[in-house]
Amino acid sequence: MPENSSHSHDFIDPKVLARLAGLGLHARLPMLGSVSGRHRSPIRGSSLEFAEYRKYVPGDDIRRMDWRAWGRSDRYYIKEYEADTNLRLCLIVDTSGSMNFAVNGVSKLETMRSLAGTLAYLTAHQGDAVGLYCAGQGLHTEIRARRNARHLRVVLDQLADIKGEGETGLADALHRAAESIRQRALVVVVSDLYIEPEVLNSCFQHLRFRKHDVAVFHLLDQTEVDFAFDRPTRFLDLEGGAPILTDPNLVGKQYRQAMAGYLADLQTVMHKAAVDYHRVNAGEPVGDILARFLVGRKHQKDGRSSLSRVTGRPQR
Amino acid sequence: MSFLQPTILLALPLMALPIVIHLIHQHRHRTVPWAAMMFLVRAQRMSRGMARLRYVLIMLMRVAAVGALVLAVSRPLVSGWLSGVGMGKPDATLILLDRSVSMEAQDMQTGQSKRSTALGKLADLLQKHDVGSQLVLIDSASGQPQSLESPQALLDLPGTAASATSADIAGMLEQALTYIKANESGRADIWICSDLNENDWDAGSGRWAVLREQFARLKGVHLFLLSYADRPANNLCIRVTHVKRRQSAHRAELVLDVLVGIEGRANGRAQRVPVEFAVNGVHSVVEVELDAQGASLQGHRIPIDSDLRSGWGSVGLPGDSNPLDNRFYFVFSEPPVRKAVVVTNETRTGEAFRRALAIPAESGLQHRAEVLTPARAGQLDWEDTGLLIWQAPLPGGPVAEQIERFVESGRVVMFFPPDQGEGDQIFSARWGTWQQPGQEQSRVTWWRSDADLLGHADSGDALPLNDLRTYRIRTLEGLTADNPGTALARLGEDRPLLVRAPADRGAAYFCTTLPTARCSSLERDGVVFYVMLQRALADGCRSLAVTSLRDAGPGALGDRTRWEPVAAAEGDPGVSQREFHAGVYKDGDYWTALNRSLAEDRAPVTPVASVDALFAGLAYERIDDAVGNPGSLASEIWRLFLLVMALALVVEAGLCMPERKTRQSGFGDLSRVKREAR
Repeated sequence: MPENSSHSHDFIDPKVLARLAGLGLHARLPMLGSVSGRHRSPIRGSSLEFAEYRKYVPGDDIRRMDWRAWGRSDRYYIKEYEADTNLRLCLIVDTSGSMNFAVNGVSKLETMRSLAGTLAYLTAHQGDAVGLYCAGQGLHTEIRARRNARHLRVVLDQLADIKGEGETGLADALHRAAESIRQRALVVVVSDLYIEPEVLNSCFQHLRFRKHDVAVFHLLDQTEVDFAFDRPTRFLDLEGGAPILTDPNLVGKQYRQAMAGYLADLQTVMHKAAVDYHRVNAGEPVGDILARFLVGRKHQKDGRSSLSRVTGRPQR
Repeated sequence: MSFLQPTILLALPLMALPIVIHLIHQHRHRTVPWAAMMFLVRAQRMSRGMARLRYVLIMLMRVAAVGALVLAVSRPLVSGWLSGVGMGKPDATLILLDRSVSMEAQDMQTGQSKRSTALGKLADLLQKHDVGSQLVLIDSASGQPQSLESPQALLDLPGTAASATSADIAGMLEQALTYIKANESGRADIWICSDLNENDWDAGSGRWAVLREQFARLKGVHLFLLSYADRPANNLCIRVTHVKRRQSAHRAELVLDVLVGIEGRANGRAQRVPVEFAVNGVHSVVEVELDAQGASLQGHRIPIDSDLRSGWGSVGLPGDSNPLDNRFYFVFSEPPVRKAVVVTNETRTGEAFRRALAIPAESGLQHRAEVLTPARAGQLDWEDTGLLIWQAPLPGGPVAEQIERFVESGRVVMFFPPDQGEGDQIFSARWGTWQQPGQEQSRVTWWRSDADLLGHADSGDALPLNDLRTYRIRTLEGLTADNPGTALARLGEDRPLLVRAPADRGAAYFCTTLPTARCSSLERDGVVFYVMLQRALADGCRSLAVTSLRDAGPGALGDRTRWEPVAAAEGDPGVSQREFHAGVYKDGDYWTALNRSLAEDRAPVTPVASVDALFAGLAYERIDDAVGNPGSLASEIWRLFLLVMALALVVEAGLCMPERKTRQSGFGDLSRVKREAR
């Protein structure tokens, strides 16, 4: 955990860090990093992991020629290996007022902060770069991904400073991030996603088009899904809209129908855009959420199946 | 609808309680910071329509439940078909009770008659309702309004008991109208209890149009007809149509003609019924066989003591659905001498009258006729004379008064025109001039053949008035539109031949021609002349007999206090009610048997459509009830309101039933989310 900071980083739990330290964060897609790392790169390199054979062309380093293959076939082949590179983790967090929704004293904002902070710490700890994009009413904070320890403190400080207010600017933030992140990166979105699924669809398709590996933590609370109120209630819009006074008995059924339809549409959007989508109960322990996330990605990396099926690209 | 606890209706505003609670509930809402507003907005948009309707229904059910509870506690009385009751407190409630014989038709299981059923229900209804300050009974027997202290008195009064009379519903309504006008009653309820007997209603009478018009002018009068139109099944009635004491050399006997009628016969099979004869304490039973029309027992003889000059008896049938028509009383005596007096100046004419009157119509009767001149009219024996023929100028002064008293005592006078002289006016009529009618005017074109002097014979044959010719007639003047008399025969288009002048008792006839050949063929043809005079003599001498057979009704006994009951169907009904009950009454040597009228045995039911038409345009309601029906006219229906309340609460609970709580999976189970979305 970074020290010498004027901000409190108590949203990062050392026990969680200790529990997750051995798992590591893996990208599902090859990354384009600037230095050597532990993630695959689309470029051939000099790692120990064999990649493919190719025909020799004049100018190739003859030290990389496979002499045994020449002995068997009397042809010249160059033996190529995977290149290992580092990963850029771009955290895009929703800082709209709706993230202040809290149940049992724990708000979505705090869950988001804990999730993003822990993930940033783990990423930096394994030598990868971390960046942070805050999506408020307009993209008001943008910290590009860097891989030094001081930068991690900047990211964590920024996370600590985040306050939920105003309407969400997540859609704009996603489009802008898609354009501004120059190289392939792991884009992790933490939000309650109270945006129409059609709008989100274009955002995630944009990110996919830019060859980013996208993961989404959708923060929801069971209260929001069940809408289990039984007496007239005045609902205050956390994003600053007009309050609504209504009888839940009158609108409860319709609310639940609307919510179910929205969740189904969202699931479809995520599936089409090959997003690593995690619907998260806002009250769930962060350690469990991240453990599930990291283990899932590790399996996906080892199997390399789900993403390939989605993107339609052949496995190598 | 009316209520036994109307003050509780003040709590009706409590019906607004659910709405007030709802408003308070809304006002005391809690505030929740909420993130998923987009779904809330969408849900509100979707909830317009059925969900809002459901909400309104819930409110309505709650309001209805409270309202029904308040109404139930206030103990409502049924309105139902009595929608007129409870429109406000009436100033007067008038009960027009049909006490006719046909109202005594009973339900064989409960033993209740139509009259007692109607009385019980009315008393119950009026007990529960506010009847206003005046409760008045007009019974069909007396026809006079009688104030009641409470509805319960209806069950105990002699004036509501069974009677052997007929009813005059139109007359009762006239009495009610007079009462309402005299007492200036504002809103009045008139209850008519009747079985719609045609004889009682006389729907063809012109009085109904006048009544309708009079009632239409009154504001706030509501007419209720409690109708018992169902006829009893297999009801027998008995009647003595003729009774005669016959004396022979060694013995005396009664000769009776008895008629047994049947009503509502279920099948056409022959049936034998025992007819019980009771004369002078001696009972005998004769079985008669009934066909579809009943039975007729002609000339039944019952031996009696030769010394028994007068007496009474009865015939009876076994009990059936109407006990009041199962017994008929009769009285008998030696027939009186039928005496007629002819007052005329013309010997020839007087002789013609005397010959026609002196010949007895049947054996055993003694006829006596004498001829006097007008100058000797003062010597006339008024007491023993049954018929007076006056063929002289009309008398005035004491003689005219004597003749009027003669008629009032039940005797008959016939006026024939004198050859000369007019005389004074009597019975509002006087003689005009002699005329000679033309060929067409000399024939009788119309005569009253159903009753009176020129009615058909018992065999149904008509009198030969078509053969009668008139050559000279004398006009009759003085009969006005208000007092027109009743024409019994007309010549040509509109010339009266025989007119009956109005009189309360007895009869006064004016014949406009003479029996002599110079004026008409009355004497020559003979039959019409003889029958006419014999019938007039028989009618006039009926009041001379010491016995009389009368229909029960007002005035049947004259001075009621003089008559002592000898036999009565239900014991002595009391002085005021004697003339309304069947029985035998005696006043010195005079005997009178009172029975129901012939029309009560024969009258069919007036169709309800005709009855409804009588009240067209008035505030009128007909309530069809059945004899013995235990249902009350007014019953408490708080149970119904409790049921409504329970129903409203059940519906409300159903509408409020929360939907099955399916804990929506927000997390993980995509298939379930999709299913719910559909």
